[in-house]
Amino acid sequence: MRRSEKAIVAIATLILLTAYITRLFTRGGPYFERPLTIVDHVGPQRHETRDALVLLPKVRPLLPRGARVTCFQPGNRDTMPDFFAAVGQLPQQTVVSPNGQLPEYVIAVRQPFTNTSYRVMAEFPEGRLYKAIP
Amino acid sequence: MTDFLWIAGILFLIFPGAILWRMPAIGRLDLPARLSIALAGGIAIVTAILYLYNFVHMPWTRFTVGVPLIACVILSRRGGEGSRDQESFASLSMTTMLILIFAALTIYGVATARETCGDLIYFWGPKGQRFHQAGSIDAGFLGFRDYFLMHSDYPPLVPLLYAWASLVAHRFSWWGALFLMPILLLATAFAFRGLARNGWYAALLTAILGYGFAIGMVGGAADPVLLLFEVIALAALTFDFEILAVIALAAVALTKVEGAVFVAMCAFAYLVTVWRRAPSPAAERPRAAAPTLRAILIPLPAAIFLGSWIVFAWRNQLIDSYGLARGSIHLDLFASVVGETLRQASYKIAYVPWLATLVPLALRRNFRRAWLPLIVAAGTLLSALFYYLHAVSPSWWIEASAQRVLLTPLACLVVASAAATE
Repeated sequence: MRRSEKAIVAIATLILLTAYITRLFTRGGPYFERPLTIVDHVGPQRHETRDALVLLPKVRPLLPRGARVTCFQPGNRDTMPDFFAAVGQLPQQTVVSPNGQLPEYVIAVRQPFTNTSYRVMAEFPEGRLYKAIP
Repeated sequence: MTDFLWIAGILFLIFPGAILWRMPAIGRLDLPARLSIALAGGIAIVTAILYLYNFVHMPWTRFTVGVPLIACVILSRRGGEGSRDQESFASLSMTTMLILIFAALTIYGVATARETCGDLIYFWGPKGQRFHQAGSIDAGFLGFRDYFLMHSDYPPLVPLLYAWASLVAHRFSWWGALFLMPILLLATAFAFRGLARNGWYAALLTAILGYGFAIGMVGGAADPVLLLFEVIALAALTFDFEILAVIALAAVALTKVEGAVFVAMCAFAYLVTVWRRAPSPAAERPRAAAPTLRAILIPLPAAIFLGSWIVFAWRNQLIDSYGLARGSIHLDLFASVVGETLRQASYKIAYVPWLATLVPLALRRNFRRAWLPLIVAAGTLLSALFYYLHAVSPSWWIEASAQRVLLTPLACLVVASAAATE
């Protein structure tokens, strides 16, 4: 390779290195602590699934195998992130959409679920688990 | 412990993949290149096994999957005698260091959860997990009416790879899926360095992909796997490792939807350019078949795998993305689509990745061997625009995916730049 070509490649690589470090830095601190979830630092703001990813492992042992369950943030029109996070986090259960008929178990992220047909089973800082009243 | 076992399950694939070292041209590459190609080969082998077992209703167990893998390990024992021609790269140590620095940054990025792709949470992870539990490609899960985001007809290589690692570790590892990214970045860099015999462009490729992975947020998604196979396939075609290209192209077709276009572009570019190229000193063997026949044979396994997958998806009513081609094209949005794609193509760094590959090409003007990757770069770029023109809301799609999708033409340009140095 010619020297000019090596110089171009080297300069570009160094620019990319600087940009990469900057990009990692701007995603926010803390920089050397083990994160709680896999989305803790994907941006300066809290990721839309962060609370669900903290809550769901806590709820998981309380749910029977094969139970039908849904997960969403009450009052939030965008039910997709928490619902799909639950699909991955609850592999032993059948996670159904909160937009259809509600199942036996409901996981409410952050906000309380006010449906009177359900009672609270467990409460955590990130949300609550509800069960349908028979 | 699960995370460690999960990653160990992936790394174990180097051993069966070392069967590729039996090809003399690959056996002569340097050790990092051989290990990287072995990892890619192992991934292709294990996913092919799981894929075929799915159709013959063979259960996925450590025993049933392990036996053919061990057979590959035994068969591979005589291959790989190491690099006989110890070509010294004057800049080897410096370029290796650059590659390792970018790999280290990627490790930091995934370890501190700075590069996680949302798609890992929404569908790549759940698919791998569910396939592992079901012991098959779970069509019922993919087609479940509520799971509209599951991209039911996306090719299955990545979920199958995740299912294999979960089989080893007994459960899916979210962190393991993330840590796969720096491993694949290193494998891509070293495989390319070995095939192209060019340390500087390997360093540039690592820089572009490392930064691209970070800004495009691809941790745990299929893009690092896709780029590993794409780079190997294209470098193998460009530098006359054609059998390796056949395997890598088959894997590309089963990794992502856009892989089909890449395979088609590679076949076309090969057909167009094969007549004017003399074989490189690293050629695997004297070419027996006629160029046209070779251009048909090279993408044939990819076409068979992809065809079987589309038939499977069609029979199980899973067609989603592959049906998009039937949609109408929005030519009225052409200017805005091109404008938005160009904006994303800057990578928020003033187009440095493009300039770093195009300027050396323009200076050198030695296109003989570079035509093939250049044609593929142009084809994949145009196909991305073509896809966006079919989307209902292209702006959202471009913002969500362009920085990832454009890594393919960028990687093609790096291969072209390296080819032009010959």
